[in-house]
Amino acid sequence: MSSKYGGYMGKVAQVDLATGTVSPYPWTDRDRELFIGGKIMAAKILSDHLTGKEEPFSDRNLLVIATGPLTGTGAPSSSRFNISTLSPQTGLLASSNCGGNFGYYLKKAGYDALILRGQAREHTWLEITNDKFVFHNADELWGKSTSATQQALSDLLTQRGGPDKSGKLCIGPAGENRVLYASIVSNERISGRTGMGAIMGWMNLKAITVTGNHVVRAYDAEKMMAWNRKWFRYLRSHPLTGEQLPRIGTAGLVSQMQMRRILATENFRYGQNESFEKVNGERLAEEFNVVNKGCLTCPIRCARTVAVDGQEVKGPELETLGLLGGGIRNDNMELLLRWNYELDELGMDSISAAGTLAWAMEANEKGIWNCGLNFGQVDGISQLWENIAHRRGIGDELADGSRRLSEKYGGKEFAIHSKGLELSAYEPRHAVGMGLGYAVSNRGGCHLNGGYLVILEGLGLNIDAQTPKAKADLTVMFQNLMEMISATGQCLFTSYAFFPAPLMSRPNAWYTRAANKLLPHTGMVIRLLNRCPRAVHMHLSPVFHHTRGFQYATGMPMTFGDYMNVGSRGYTLERSVNCRFGVSAKDDTLPKRLTDEPQQPNNPKTRVPLKKMTPVYYAARGWDSNGIPTPQTLKKLGLKGAD
Amino acid sequence: MSYRITDQCKGCTLCSKNCPVMAITGQTKQPHTIDPDRCVSCGLCGKLCAFGAIVDDRGVPAVKIPKSQWKKPEIDPALCAACSVCVENCPKECLSISNPRYHGDITMIALLRTPEDCIGCGICADRCPVGAITLI
Repeated sequence: MSSKYGGYMGKVAQVDLATGTVSPYPWTDRDRELFIGGKIMAAKILSDHLTGKEEPFSDRNLLVIATGPLTGTGAPSSSRFNISTLSPQTGLLASSNCGGNFGYYLKKAGYDALILRGQAREHTWLEITNDKFVFHNADELWGKSTSATQQALSDLLTQRGGPDKSGKLCIGPAGENRVLYASIVSNERISGRTGMGAIMGWMNLKAITVTGNHVVRAYDAEKMMAWNRKWFRYLRSHPLTGEQLPRIGTAGLVSQMQMRRILATENFRYGQNESFEKVNGERLAEEFNVVNKGCLTCPIRCARTVAVDGQEVKGPELETLGLLGGGIRNDNMELLLRWNYELDELGMDSISAAGTLAWAMEANEKGIWNCGLNFGQVDGISQLWENIAHRRGIGDELADGSRRLSEKYGGKEFAIHSKGLELSAYEPRHAVGMGLGYAVSNRGGCHLNGGYLVILEGLGLNIDAQTPKAKADLTVMFQNLMEMISATGQCLFTSYAFFPAPLMSRPNAWYTRAANKLLPHTGMVIRLLNRCPRAVHMHLSPVFHHTRGFQYATGMPMTFGDYMNVGSRGYTLERSVNCRFGVSAKDDTLPKRLTDEPQQPNNPKTRVPLKKMTPVYYAARGWDSNGIPTPQTLKKLGLKGAD
Repeated sequence: MSYRITDQCKGCTLCSKNCPVMAITGQTKQPHTIDPDRCVSCGLCGKLCAFGAIVDDRGVPAVKIPKSQWKKPEIDPALCAACSVCVENCPKECLSISNPRYHGDITMIALLRTPEDCIGCGICADRCPVGAITLI
């Protein structure tokens, strides 16, 4: 079952852990054309299995680990892989993307994707070598931290001979104990959001290693190489991907967010943190950074390494820095770095852990839940992470996340989540487009799945952050774009280069100011493009290298319009699956704090005018007024019958 | 795809002692075999075998080459983007990425750190996405 297209290995394996059987999953070239790979492919597989009655922790749920066609071809930043499942946190279809090397090696083993289902009878780890799937007992690994687990596996594989050349993913104690926001870890990179680790924990699956000796070949290797040269050079010379991200990483955004009043502080009460300079990216880079690291195939190298107890470990990303910094009124960077490391070791999502903690602190302050946690009180937090991961004491309750806690104790208005997933560190009352994104996002309160309009609302360009004008249409466009970039197996940071360099490096130039003024008035034009993306029958190559790169790697014709169209197909397909689970307009919400309470009491505009934006968003997407994709829209996108 | 050992094998064990991924097994003076799941087609066995008993992954018999004539990778610093694909694929682990000179330095390149270990297999050059590596 090979593919006529380059970049694909042509095989998908279905693994039933309950019976220990492996079988091929039918996936045709027609499917590849429509659903490409990664999260869109996973959405299609899940769509074919989920009816709307399944429970996340059940043998009717699937965990789909999918790579994109560019993974392994050598395209820049293309080592990403995607994990999708019915999330225990949101109860809906959710996806999580990771930059570890598992995807690269999965393709070396000859597979584009793995579909896991069922509960193993004993603690298990799975070893994949090309077509050989071996289930091992994992009693000795159970309870181990994520780095200790990977080290133990590495030692074992090295003992058998030769260097350990394998991709690994594993869960930590949090996943084993089904903490609802447990993560899956591959190397030091984390598939953090939506609680994928808990599903693996339910499956009794501690880890997977994969290796093989297949080679991923591009369709037109010569053109691909020439294009890669241009593409790598472009990314290395762009002000965002060639300077800002390598120099201060995502953490560098903290100071910009402070300036724009979008730095979530004290459980999103405020948009600014007066002691931000103690926990920002500049301080991280100057005082704590040991060395920059990058994922395999990536020239951007945005990851940081810091020292904790004399050991070099992964540094925090912006979201962790914001939420475990000002978010809980902590200004101790050393502690923050330690927590970030501990959360990775326990296998827990730092965004949701921090969001839940901030809610608990406020609930304690208000007397709703006397848990003894207070803003600014940082002693004992390390122990608290342990307690959450092992579900001990109040940790057992905190392990269920802020939505369930607020349903139990009250305080929903300040439980900062959307669809059960805690929001990232961007405070949306000063970036209302981001607010819309958080609310409508398929996987819940995620900045990336939400379209990441903050890039226009102060972090790249500087359009009016309070106006709802054009935000819905821009959100649709950015969501579609990022959906497709993820599906191809590339990192979303490659899309930064979509913004021409002069706009980023010269924020006060006349053309940048003109672009800022103009963008909110382009709603209708963008709507037309979103509705008929295929009208853009071209490549936009000077700034957007993805379409040509994709074409050379796979041999599939692809223009910018086609690219956006597949993104739209993926996003709407995920929504349709979620609609089977009862999602509609009533779920596309934000907590009252963000929609009703102005961030600045004397400026009523500083809140998210969600009710004004969601109807426009639904119309822009071709969904009905209740947020359900219409049969016509589904048909137009090639998804007939997906409702 | 992997290399294969024909019945010309005399069981001298030279290949199994040197295989970087330990894919070759066999007793002394007995014909050896290559595990097709472990073999990465580096070709070292073929370069060493004095009996012409190794056939490459396209079915062509491999030719013995003295170590002094093995080629070494040369990396073009102007093209290399430090993407680490060569490092990840080198079966002898003799490549690594240079150290950054300052925080945020992205002008690092891949380096052949231990040329004495290099077996001149050319996997690095074959996998390099930008064609920055040539064997000379």
